[in-house]
Amino acid sequence: MIAAHPVIQVTAFGLSSGATFGLLALGLVLIYRTTGAMNFSHWAIGLLAVIAYLYLANEGVPVVLAMLLALALSPIAGIAAYRLVFRKIPRANQVVTILITIGIAQVYASLAAMVLGFKQFTRLPPWLPQGKVSFAGTQLNTTDVVTIVLAVGIAAGFLAWFRFTRTGRALRAVAQNREAAMLAGIDDVRSSTIAWGIGSALAALALLLVLPHVAGKQGGLITTFDITPFGTLLIPAFGAALVGGLVNLPMALAGGFAFGLVRELLVLAPKPWSDLRTVAAALLILLLLVLRTERFFVTAQEREALEA
Amino acid sequence: MTEHTVEVSQPLELPAVVRRRLTSAELAGLAGLGAIALLPIPFGSFGFFVGQFALIYAILGLSVVVVTGYAGLVSLMTYSFAGIGAMVTGVAMASWGWPFWLALPLAAAATIPVSIIVGVTAVRLKGLYLAIATLTFADALGETFFKYGKVTGGLSGWIVHRPSPFRSDASYYVLLLAVAMALVWMVTGLRSSRVGRAMLAVRTNEREAQALGINVYKTKLTAFLISGVLGGIGGAFLALLLTSVTRSAFQSPLVEATSILLVTVVVVGGIDRALGAFLGAVALVVQQQVFQGARFFFAYFGIYSALLLVLFLLYRPGGLMQVARLQWRLIRARPRVGIAAAAAIIGLNVGLAWLFVRLS
Repeated sequence: MIAAHPVIQVTAFGLSSGATFGLLALGLVLIYRTTGAMNFSHWAIGLLAVIAYLYLANEGVPVVLAMLLALALSPIAGIAAYRLVFRKIPRANQVVTILITIGIAQVYASLAAMVLGFKQFTRLPPWLPQGKVSFAGTQLNTTDVVTIVLAVGIAAGFLAWFRFTRTGRALRAVAQNREAAMLAGIDDVRSSTIAWGIGSALAALALLLVLPHVAGKQGGLITTFDITPFGTLLIPAFGAALVGGLVNLPMALAGGFAFGLVRELLVLAPKPWSDLRTVAAALLILLLLVLRTERFFVTAQEREALEA
Repeated sequence: MTEHTVEVSQPLELPAVVRRRLTSAELAGLAGLGAIALLPIPFGSFGFFVGQFALIYAILGLSVVVVTGYAGLVSLMTYSFAGIGAMVTGVAMASWGWPFWLALPLAAAATIPVSIIVGVTAVRLKGLYLAIATLTFADALGETFFKYGKVTGGLSGWIVHRPSPFRSDASYYVLLLAVAMALVWMVTGLRSSRVGRAMLAVRTNEREAQALGINVYKTKLTAFLISGVLGGIGGAFLALLLTSVTRSAFQSPLVEATSILLVTVVVVGGIDRALGAFLGAVALVVQQQVFQGARFFFAYFGIYSALLLVLFLLYRPGGLMQVARLQWRLIRARPRVGIAAAAAIIGLNVGLAWLFVRLS
C-alpha cells in the first residue's frame, strides 16, 4: 500500500474520504439552514439509495445507470420524511426535532437491514472505473481520484446553483429571514421540500461513492456496521458541518476534506500519535464545539431565523 | 408554516409542588403497577429474565428522565455510562475479588469524572450541539476507555457472579424490583425538590431561569452527574444479569444504538416522569426480549420502536403516562366505554404476548 511517495498516496485517501464527509456535511447544512432541523437521519436516507442501487444492479441494469437511477430516486426518502413528519413540528422545539430525526433514521436503517436480509455483509458491485493512475510518480487508485474530482465538481455546481439561481436565492432568503421571505412571496413549504430533496441526493451521492468501493478491486461491502455508521461516517460529517458553524456551506465542504485528511495523515505519524486516528474526529469536534464556531458565521438575523 | 403546524402540546408545565394525599387515579395506577410486577411469575425462568431486563432498562431510563426529561438536555450516551458501571463492576469483582456491594458504589462513582467533563462541555452547548457532543463522547469512550484491556478484560471480558441471597432468578428479580422502585421514588421526589424544579425551569427557559437566580451551570452539571450515577448503577446490575460483560456492546455502533433505544423507551413511557421510564421499559423491553427469537426481529423491532418514538413525539409527547391519564379521564367521564377500551387494549397486548411465547 505504501509506495514511493506515501504522503501523496495517503493524501489521496484522505481527500477521497474527506469528499464523502464534505458531501454529507453539505446536505446537513443545507437542510439545517433552510428548515432548522439537524438531520440525524442523513446517513440512513443515503443508505436507502445504496439499497436501490444494489437492487437495480442485481436486476441487470448497467451499474452506472443503476447509480444514476438510485440518485434520482434518493430525494423521495427525505421529502417523505419532511412532508409526513417534520412539517408538523414547531421549529422551536429542538429536542423533539432531534429525537424524531433519530427515529426516522432507525426506520430507514431497519428497512435497509430488512431488504438486505440481515446478512453479515452484502457485496456491492463497483460503478467507478477500477485501476491505477500515476501522479507525480505515485500510483493512485482511480476510484479515489474520480471520487475527489466528482465530489468537488458537484459541490461546486451545487454552490453555484445556491448562489446564483432564483430557487437558490429563495432558499437563502428563507434561511436568512423566514417571515420576510414569506412576505416576499416565497413558498416556505416548497423551499423546505427542495432543501430536503437536494440534501438527500447529496447524502445518497456520498454513500454511493464510498460504499461500493471500500474494498477496492473486490467492489464494495455493506456490513451490519454500515447500517449504523455512527463512528465512521456520521461523526466526521457532523464535525465537517461544525467547521462552518452548521450554516456555512463552503466551509462545511472544506471541513469534510480537513477531517478526511487528518484521519488518513495520522497513519504516517510516529507510533503513539498514530493511535489517535480513531479518536481524532471526536477530539476535533469537541474542540470545534468549545470554540463555538457558529459565532463566526451566523449573523444575528440568521440566528433569529434558526431559533424562531 | 403556521397553518400546517399541529400544536404539539409540550410537557413543559412546572409540577405542582404541594404535597397531597394520593388521588384515586394514583391508587389505581399503583394497583396496576403491582399487577405488572407479578406478570413474570406464570412464565417461570424466562419470565424472570425478561422482567430483570426490563427493570434494568427502567433504571437506565431514569438516567434519561433526569437529563432529558427534567433538564431538557439531549444525551445520546446513557449506555456509555452503563458500560462504565458494568466494566468497573467487572474489574472490581472478577479481578480484585471485591464483593458486589462494594463494587456497586465504585461503579456509580466511576461515572462522575466523565459526567463532569460532559457536563462542563454541556453548559456551553444548546440542544443539537449537545446531541452531537454526547454522540461524539460515546464514540470516543468506545475507542479509549472501552479499548483499555485492564478495564475491560480484553476481548473475553469479565465473568461476574451474583452475590449469595440473589443467585436464583426469582430473588434477583425481586432485588431489581426493589432497587428500581426505590430509584423511581427518588427520581419522582427529585422532580419536586429544589434541584428538580431548577432543572425544569432551565428546560423551559434558560434565560428566565437565570433571571430567577437559578445557577444554570450548576443545574446542568447536576443533571449530568445524577444521570451518570443512575447509568452506573444500572450498568452494575446489568453486569450481574449478563454474568459475562464484554466491551463490544459499549463500542460504536452498538452503544449509540442502545442509547437511542433508551431514549425511545423513555419517550414511549413519558419522558418527564420517573414512572414513565418504568412503563416504557415494561412496554418496549418486554417485547424486545419476547420477540428476540423471531426471525425478522431486528427489522421488526427497529421499525416498530422507531415508529413508536416518532408517533408518540408527534401525538402523545407525554408518553404512556399521558395515555394513562387520558384513559383515566375517559373512565371517569364515561365509565363503561373507558373500562371496555382499557380492558380491550390490555387484553389484546397480553394475549398477543402469550401467543408469541407459545409459538416461539
